[in-house]
Amino acid sequence: MTKQEKIAPYIFVSPFFILFLIFALYPILYSVYISFFKWTVSGPQGFIGLTNYKNLLTIDPFFFKSLSNTVWLLIFGSLLQHLFAIPLAILLNNGRDALKGRDFFKTTFFLPYITSTVSVTLIFAQLFDMNYGWLNYIWVNLFNQEAVNWLQNPDTIKSSLAIMLNWRFIGWNTIIYLAGLQAIPHSLYEAADIDGAGPIAKHWFITLPQLIPIIFFAVTMSIIGGMQVFDEPFVLLGGYEQMGGNMNSGLTSAFYLMFTGFKASRFGKGSAIAWLLFFIIFIMTVINRKITKALEK
Amino acid sequence: MKRLSSVLMVMVLVSASLFAAGGQEQGAAVAFDPNASYDLTIGCYGDLEKAYTAVFATDDFKQKFPNVNITFQTSDFNGHHSRLTTVIAAREATNDIEALEIGYIAQFVAGGGLSDLAAAPYDGMAVGSDLVDFAMSNATTKDGKLIAMPVDIAPAVLFYRKSIIEAAGLTVQQMENIKDWDEYIEIGKKLTKDLDNDGTIDQYAITHANDVAMVPLNGGKGGWIDAGGNPLEPKAKFVGALELVQNIRNAGIDGDMGAWTGPWVEAFSNGSTATMVNGAWFGGALKTWMAPDQSGDWRVAYLPGKTMASLGGTYLSIPEYVKEDKKGVAWEIIKYLSTSPSAQLTTFNTIDAYPALTSVYDDPIMDEGLAYFGGQQVRKIYADVAENIPSNTVSEYDALILSIWNSTVTSVLTGETGMMEGYDKAKQQVLATIQ
Repeated sequence: MTKQEKIAPYIFVSPFFILFLIFALYPILYSVYISFFKWTVSGPQGFIGLTNYKNLLTIDPFFFKSLSNTVWLLIFGSLLQHLFAIPLAILLNNGRDALKGRDFFKTTFFLPYITSTVSVTLIFAQLFDMNYGWLNYIWVNLFNQEAVNWLQNPDTIKSSLAIMLNWRFIGWNTIIYLAGLQAIPHSLYEAADIDGAGPIAKHWFITLPQLIPIIFFAVTMSIIGGMQVFDEPFVLLGGYEQMGGNMNSGLTSAFYLMFTGFKASRFGKGSAIAWLLFFIIFIMTVINRKITKALEK
Repeated sequence: MKRLSSVLMVMVLVSASLFAAGGQEQGAAVAFDPNASYDLTIGCYGDLEKAYTAVFATDDFKQKFPNVNITFQTSDFNGHHSRLTTVIAAREATNDIEALEIGYIAQFVAGGGLSDLAAAPYDGMAVGSDLVDFAMSNATTKDGKLIAMPVDIAPAVLFYRKSIIEAAGLTVQQMENIKDWDEYIEIGKKLTKDLDNDGTIDQYAITHANDVAMVPLNGGKGGWIDAGGNPLEPKAKFVGALELVQNIRNAGIDGDMGAWTGPWVEAFSNGSTATMVNGAWFGGALKTWMAPDQSGDWRVAYLPGKTMASLGGTYLSIPEYVKEDKKGVAWEIIKYLSTSPSAQLTTFNTIDAYPALTSVYDDPIMDEGLAYFGGQQVRKIYADVAENIPSNTVSEYDALILSIWNSTVTSVLTGETGMMEGYDKAKQQVLATIQ
């Protein structure tokens, strides 16, 4: 092999690695470096070691608040989606022959996912409006209840966000599960039919076990996405000026990270939040992996 | 393996050198040469491009700067400031001139990143001697550095609809002489009505109690940390601000409409709100797109008790890392936009951004009665407020404290916390967060 032939593969793969180094690895490692500094709008103000991390974990009044809000939204806004998405996907998959307009439903379910977050959020802001929103119109006029201040009551702020997140991402997960369902060999169901298995038994003993790798993938994506929710509370709850609304109920970890970096101009502390968030997502993904592995067995 | 490590090492060094090349050294300004040609960029937001395009199209400007070609980088408000904050923190290239909203000025005053316009060759303090005091003060650091020049300001006033107040048995004279906020609340009760007797209120005195939350705090521009470094002091001032919004909410005179939502905008054109506390620019918004068909019905008065406050404003700056051969011409353009009567009045006429230059307050245009306000000389009121807005100390923590305070106001308004509890909690949060 000539010298040129030895070098050629590295030359061919180098564009990716160069771009990866510049636009991914360098910023990632640089953020670790920044997190050890007091870093303001005019650059580094001094090395402070682990102080940013220590302050976040001990005295910062918003870090754990934002984390608990995020976990709440992760459970009710992101993970809950799978309880809706799997049955919907099964319905779409089984109705291959019977369900008319299957493609229409697939498109309709997927549409919220590809719609701009800002547009969706502005429309939901109108739906949730206390005095003029449709939700309260129905709530008050059809159910004869008192109007709810959806976007100012600390309890309903989180529910409102969860409703919106479910609406946006159930369709996405449905399509993922549908793809998974279509990959299950039909021969397994035929064999079950011969053995006299009913529809519920087939779902329980064939569909769900076969879907576990897809469930792992979809849940992992939900954990990552759920821990990074920012756009929805930012637009729905008045941006940086309101810090997640009443009692900071809509302040998510990603929101607090962005606020710390780009509103309060504390880039070091913002980087520290990003790394703490990374470790939390990493741990959650490992737990998810362990659970799905156990289920696979 | 060794070879692969070498390749990776080379890549790391290449990428590191690329980034090193991106950072720029700060230099001294090269003086403006009227005979040389310049290409200049301005970073701005909102309607500023519209205003400055009009300024640059005037004969006066073309005569003074025949060889200066200016292009804009315009973004939405938040996008512009996020970009600016990021590139300055990263010490990367920016536009030659960058606009800043007053709410963002504090972090740069304390944090740096912008050229000191008080130093030679700019001598901005002397150049800006006719600009309103409070705006110059807001852009000045403790050690006397001037980091931006104010171009427009937003003196806060009370807008109201004459037909609505008269229907409630009130007079223009009463609205012009409201002695304090308690009297305003009493007037508000008369303006809040169920016009069609269907059991629901359909006309409010004010859109939201939050509209006045920042007024006792000078519009939230500075003053969050006192001279001794203590946040939210004196306590009485901040608790008083909470008390004001709570009293308005308890009196039932606000429509609980969030700013810039559909119902909020609609409230000004359909008559479901009678008054509004805002900066002078709001008159332009009413006239041009919010309520153009109500020409002649809106009026302007001083805030209750003649409170003087600012609710907005724009500054122009030269970031430190602008190339030195551009700094001289950038300064000349800033100087022109902020201290030339022609530019100030063109900006005012184009987007209703109220001039920061006090010498134009004597211009005949300021005495004109405006048809939209029933012939009232509203600009004289704006000028009087502008010249009497108190100066405040700004700090690098202003943006952070403002957000915490806004959240506290909402908590008090919704009854989640009491005034004292809300104040104490906000103070505790501020102290813990600025560590």
